[in-house]
Amino acid sequence: MLQMFGRRFLLAIVLGGACIAQAQTNRYVSNDLCKTCHSAIWNAFYKNPHFKSIASGKEPPENTGCQGCHGPAGNHVDNGGGKDTIRAFSVLPPEQALDTCLRCHGQTLSRANIRTSQHTLNGMACTSCHSIHRSQSVHALLRKPQTALCEECHTDVRAQFAMPFKHRVEEGVIACTDCHNPHGSFAPTWAMASRPRHVDQAMANEEPCLKCHADKRGPFIFEHLGVRVDGCETCHAPHGSTNSRLLLRPVVFTLCLECHNGAGNFGRQGNGVPAQTSNHNMADPRYQNCTACHVRIHGSNADSNFLR
Amino acid sequence: MKVTMLSLLMVSTIGAQVPVAPSPDLAGEKNGENIRNYNVVNSFETGYRYSTVGGSIEQYRSSVNFGDGIRLLGSSLIVNSKNGHGAFFDQITLSTQGLGNDPYESVSMRIEKNRLYRYDMSWRQNDYFNPGLVTAGGDGQHLLDTQNRIQDHNLTLFPQSNVKFFAGFSNSSQSGPGYSSIQLFDAAGNIFPLFSNVHRTWREYRLGNEFRIIGVRVNWMHGWEDFKDDTGATLATPGVPGTLLLPQPPAANLNSFQARDPNHGTNPYWRAAIFADRGLFHLNGRFTYSGGRNAFVVDESAQASSPTRFQNVITLGNADRPVATGNLNLSFTPTSKLTIANNTSVYNVRTLGNSFFAQFDSQTQTTAVQFYNYLGIRTVANDTSLNYQISPLWGVMAGYHYSNRLITSQSEFTFAGATSSNPAEQSNQLRSGEMGMRFAPWKPLSVLFSAEIGTNSHPFTPIANADYHALSGRVQYRAKAFRLTGAINANYNANSVSLTSYASQSRTYSLNGSWTPRDRFTIDAGFTRAHIYTIGGIAYFLDQQLIQNQSSVYLSNINSIYTGIRYEFGSRVDFYVGYTRVQDLGDGRATAASGLGSAPELFQAVQTFPVVFQSPSARVSVKINNKLRWNLGYQYYGYREDFSSLLGYRANTGYTSVSFSY
Repeated sequence: MLQMFGRRFLLAIVLGGACIAQAQTNRYVSNDLCKTCHSAIWNAFYKNPHFKSIASGKEPPENTGCQGCHGPAGNHVDNGGGKDTIRAFSVLPPEQALDTCLRCHGQTLSRANIRTSQHTLNGMACTSCHSIHRSQSVHALLRKPQTALCEECHTDVRAQFAMPFKHRVEEGVIACTDCHNPHGSFAPTWAMASRPRHVDQAMANEEPCLKCHADKRGPFIFEHLGVRVDGCETCHAPHGSTNSRLLLRPVVFTLCLECHNGAGNFGRQGNGVPAQTSNHNMADPRYQNCTACHVRIHGSNADSNFLR
Repeated sequence: MKVTMLSLLMVSTIGAQVPVAPSPDLAGEKNGENIRNYNVVNSFETGYRYSTVGGSIEQYRSSVNFGDGIRLLGSSLIVNSKNGHGAFFDQITLSTQGLGNDPYESVSMRIEKNRLYRYDMSWRQNDYFNPGLVTAGGDGQHLLDTQNRIQDHNLTLFPQSNVKFFAGFSNSSQSGPGYSSIQLFDAAGNIFPLFSNVHRTWREYRLGNEFRIIGVRVNWMHGWEDFKDDTGATLATPGVPGTLLLPQPPAANLNSFQARDPNHGTNPYWRAAIFADRGLFHLNGRFTYSGGRNAFVVDESAQASSPTRFQNVITLGNADRPVATGNLNLSFTPTSKLTIANNTSVYNVRTLGNSFFAQFDSQTQTTAVQFYNYLGIRTVANDTSLNYQISPLWGVMAGYHYSNRLITSQSEFTFAGATSSNPAEQSNQLRSGEMGMRFAPWKPLSVLFSAEIGTNSHPFTPIANADYHALSGRVQYRAKAFRLTGAINANYNANSVSLTSYASQSRTYSLNGSWTPRDRFTIDAGFTRAHIYTIGGIAYFLDQQLIQNQSSVYLSNINSIYTGIRYEFGSRVDFYVGYTRVQDLGDGRATAASGLGSAPELFQAVQTFPVVFQSPSARVSVKINNKLRWNLGYQYYGYREDFSSLLGYRANTGYTSVSFSY
């Protein structure tokens, strides 16, 4: 009886002590201990960008190796593993995962707006897109190739890139990040509303379209004011369209006339976007192709009507 | 691990609906080979691509454009130092696609030495062909058959340090033949086809630095951009009357035409950014200034007969566009569950310039006009948002946006000694509110919903957002082997004044999912339906009679589906079959309304645009040995416009290739 009581007492002390130790202190252990169980990850970790911190040999344990992200592993080792004894990202709430990554990655200009980005506001964490140990991209540790990853959620955009006329994203010559910053961008200064979101400003401060379409940029003596004031989306669908040249309409004259109707309140002087003049006869096919004459529709240096 | 990596790669490839080549299956050992202190993983795929096209080759080239020939379809090279202390580098990554004459070619490379430097390079080439296709009797008068090349080089010194230095160079060019048009000799004159030699280049050089001072990280960059457009134009078919479209009296035979309009510009800029984390407070800002300047000359001469006529046009001048912007974000995170953020942004752009225009015409008098134009846009915006995770199950967000835009402009010209000036100024305010919620009742399941409503006091154009609202929702189930996503997006806008009204609505519904029950089998499929309906007031002339109070209607119902199935037979044969189809049902009409009669019928003809674009594909990849694979693929492209059979095409494309590693 006394022997049994003694064993139970001893067990209680041991377990109690362990619980107290777990509750009160956790400790950093040697990273070498991690590879005992996680050998596959460890053996390939030199290919991971996070290996830099280990290679430097100068970083403290909280900033390097496995425990730099997963936290002190003392309890994890003592308990023989378990997701509740270490910071396991698979069970971490998004906001805590974000905080953990931003300890190091918050100090980067491209991620300066991540806390207010639409991705974060919609409950996404870094691990929604990035896979540190099973990534399929070398640079950004994405868990899928970029286009497939973005299209997994942005299904409407995927459909637009399947249109006959589109930017060549699926063909691999353009990437989503050529125009967008998935970590959140600064508010688009060229637009009035908070949309478009996650769009990177180009050329220091303009729409990203102008990165590649520099000839549309100007400055022109005669700017097409609708383009300059409201942006390229006034006429174009940037992802893809069933219409040639990514236009919003299959024919150009409806596109033009929907703005150029002369109705008051609009335009430069508030008295209407100028309607066509009387020498235009819409029954004549030559006038149905507005850009046959108005060739410099994005802006001109020689003609206020964009004729040359 | 190896199998898992391979299967993940396959899933992603199916999901992206990329062209059938290059193959996603890489040759060689996934873990690479060790050579001294480095690990090397490489794979190259080379083979022959073919295509046969029936129907409109122009339409095919504008939307697909794959041709015949031997290609280096893709390659990948990854070199890593094993201890992070390589002699000259610790990592090299190089990937290419389509080299050897594919219309879409790219190379990206990174070389990095830990703590010392990082160099990133990308080079892309896109063969751009666009015959300017339009319906309703369009002639495609603006053909382009150009090559666009873009390259970027970025060097970062001390990338892991608190003090970094940046240097970069970018180059973008477009060159090739084009087909354009010009309207001569008067307002009702003829339209003549022109041949142009497109030659445009844009270059940017940049230097920058990042450092930390009193807890604030500062990043600045100074860049110099140069732009040159030396595209000229000559008459495409001398002596031919102006019958590109229907001739318009007075007809004239244009015997020669030359246009030179060099347009050179520069745009030096400064960009500075700050960001800091002080406990619960986060601050970041971005401030830019650029001083764009453009100098141009237009020298144009035309000579016509029947009737005999000469016309010379000279224009010269310059335009400036200084732009200053600022963004300042402040966010407060009292707990990890709550974020309150405020953003203020300022945009100030002025475009101004002088242009001298002189026209010497043998029939009309000499015209000389001096123009001065000014356009200033100043926008100040403020945005406040709140994001709160109520519980692990529920989260909410809300925001309010206000922006104020002032547009000032002046249009001035001097003619025959008299100056006419026409200044204008207007301002408008946009206010919008948004809210959203997310619900995660179960770890694999998430439900998102957000809504935005806004109003603009004085939109600039009749089609701009005035009274608008947007709704979006998404339900996603994501488990280890199964993912299902359903989403809906809806946008509504009404912009009405006393004389005209414009309304648009678009709704997109989508459902897609993927299932990988076993490593060797994956199925991926999706459906999207996009409904677009707009109606806008228009005014136009019909035989010199003004027609008002009519509407332009556009109705589009686009169904888009895709599916892909991949199966791995044994450990050697990988098989994939996929299908993509986009169909705009229009408004359901079977035949086009007549567009050749009166104008109302013309507008009725273009209210809808039924079109089908589909592409089934199949690919088989056989592993010969550990370092060699053989690939064979086929992809069909079919395009059909219901109202114009001339623009349809059917293309059979395919390839055979070997992937190898050494």
